[in-house]
Amino acid sequence: MKKKGGPVTYILLALISLFCIFPFVWMLISSFKPIDEIRQSVPKFTINNPTFANFSKVLFEADFIKYIKNSLIVSLTACVLSLFIAICAGYVFSRYFRLRIVKFSNLFMLISQMIPGVLLLIPLYLTMKFLGILESYMSLILAYTTFVIPLCTFMMSSFFDTVPIALEEAAELDGYNKFQTLFKIILPISIPSLISTGLYAFINAWNEFMFGYVFISSEDYRTLTPAIMLFKGANTVDWGSLMAASVIAIIPVTLIFLFLQRYFLAGLSNGSVKG
Amino acid sequence: MDMSNKRTKKRFLRTRKQREQFFSATMLFPALLFLIVLIGYPLVTVLVDAFHNVNLLNNSAQPFVGLENFKKVLSDPKFVPALQHTLFYTFFSVVGEYILGLTSAILLNKKVKGRAFFRIAIFIPWLVPIIVAGMTWSWMLNPDFGIINYLLTHLGIIKEPINFLGDANYALQTVTFVNVWRSFPYYTISLLAALQAIPDDLYEASGIDGAGKFEQFVHITLPQLRSVSLVIVFMHIIWTAINFDFIWVLTQGGPNYATDTLPLMIYRYSMQKFDVGTASSLSTMMLLGMSLIFVFYYKIKTKISEETLN
Repeated sequence: MKKKGGPVTYILLALISLFCIFPFVWMLISSFKPIDEIRQSVPKFTINNPTFANFSKVLFEADFIKYIKNSLIVSLTACVLSLFIAICAGYVFSRYFRLRIVKFSNLFMLISQMIPGVLLLIPLYLTMKFLGILESYMSLILAYTTFVIPLCTFMMSSFFDTVPIALEEAAELDGYNKFQTLFKIILPISIPSLISTGLYAFINAWNEFMFGYVFISSEDYRTLTPAIMLFKGANTVDWGSLMAASVIAIIPVTLIFLFLQRYFLAGLSNGSVKG
Repeated sequence: MDMSNKRTKKRFLRTRKQREQFFSATMLFPALLFLIVLIGYPLVTVLVDAFHNVNLLNNSAQPFVGLENFKKVLSDPKFVPALQHTLFYTFFSVVGEYILGLTSAILLNKKVKGRAFFRIAIFIPWLVPIIVAGMTWSWMLNPDFGIINYLLTHLGIIKEPINFLGDANYALQTVTFVNVWRSFPYYTISLLAALQAIPDDLYEASGIDGAGKFEQFVHITLPQLRSVSLVIVFMHIIWTAINFDFIWVLTQGGPNYATDTLPLMIYRYSMQKFDVGTASSLSTMMLLGMSLIFVFYYKIKTKISEETLN
């Protein structure tokens, strides 16, 4: 029996939501304002002459189309790769947790999850240099995949815990080996948790800033988040274009999230409690 | 599968246990490969480099220098302020995030209309890139054309516009505030999930016993949230203390090092001065600090699970 929310509940919720959303509303309004309306000492919520100039400047003059493409390539690849790795490891975590190698891997992942990227920045940079992949998609894909493996594995394994073992026993009687069982029987019924885990990996890669900023210096492979930072450095006063770039950067994550948020929030809280 | 194939397979992996071990090892291989090459090896390198004179500009000689690098960090006049800023930033971020996260989780756990909308709205800040959060707040906090200064002066709360990110008196508090805005939704989602898992009978029974709302909150709700709270608070202490992106994006440590923190020092040592040895020794110190926090966390966690079992 849940308590019904009174007026105080609604007022507080509305205030917190406003606090959360207002920056985005303001971002959106600013992105459509021409420069003279941006530089007004009395900011207004209405736009007298709405314009797409900021968007076209960012997309075509500042080459953001290329950065969007780069971000998509890196994030999608990292997402698929981490999903595959997390499915394999998560399944074993769930089914064979008594084996020594599994216990060891579990501990190793728990520790890895706590080690922040910035402390490993230099050796990672040098490792990427040594592998000859510094100025390429590959360095980012590998880095992003590595740092989401622990949480993604925990998310998948907590889902596999809920799949009845009888299903696998039946598959084994039908002559399936373990790999076939996992990929043909179990994965098809795991779509919701695959979505939430993949989404986490994708969003993480799409949003990451530091590795993209440090590993990539050539424009050809630059991703969206460092591009915004560098664009700001070169155009400190052009807030309209900066807000347009920000709108562009959040469109994919927001859209995907709005469609899939049910799966995402459930999966995320499962994985985080387990980890 | 023909007979001969079956027999060779049997010879390799005789028992069921061996088959399970082989299967587990194969499945874990990709994950372990990534973690060993890209986390394990770099981690060892950091610990080794901390005691050597390693410089990116001078690759040839890397002599062992003992604790020289650590002395260099500790005698850096920027170290103590950066440590203080890190502690301030971490403490107030985590406290603010927890209060806001718990409040919003409790509100969302009630029966309200439009709950789905509120939940999405509250989660959105966590979803967007830090750089976007940073840009948008920089724009809103702009002293000349920013909406926040306009609203605050218009409502008479402040007399003069404040350069929130450019004034050393306000910069660190402002960065902390923006960080709370961006990070608290994660607490909301985790705490909400824990609240929903509390069985209703607990409340009903205590209601019969005549417990008031506040007593119910203190004696039922809070204890049930302990283990989730411990995990998220611990994770965020570490994530906040070592966060590089947020401050770099908002102020780059400025004005005049007013928002300089330890991760920014690591970045400067390594990427601007190319002094890998010193950067590694600071990283090592932070790892040591994290391990201490972890030991502390582990002790509380064991205590809580023992109490829950009894």
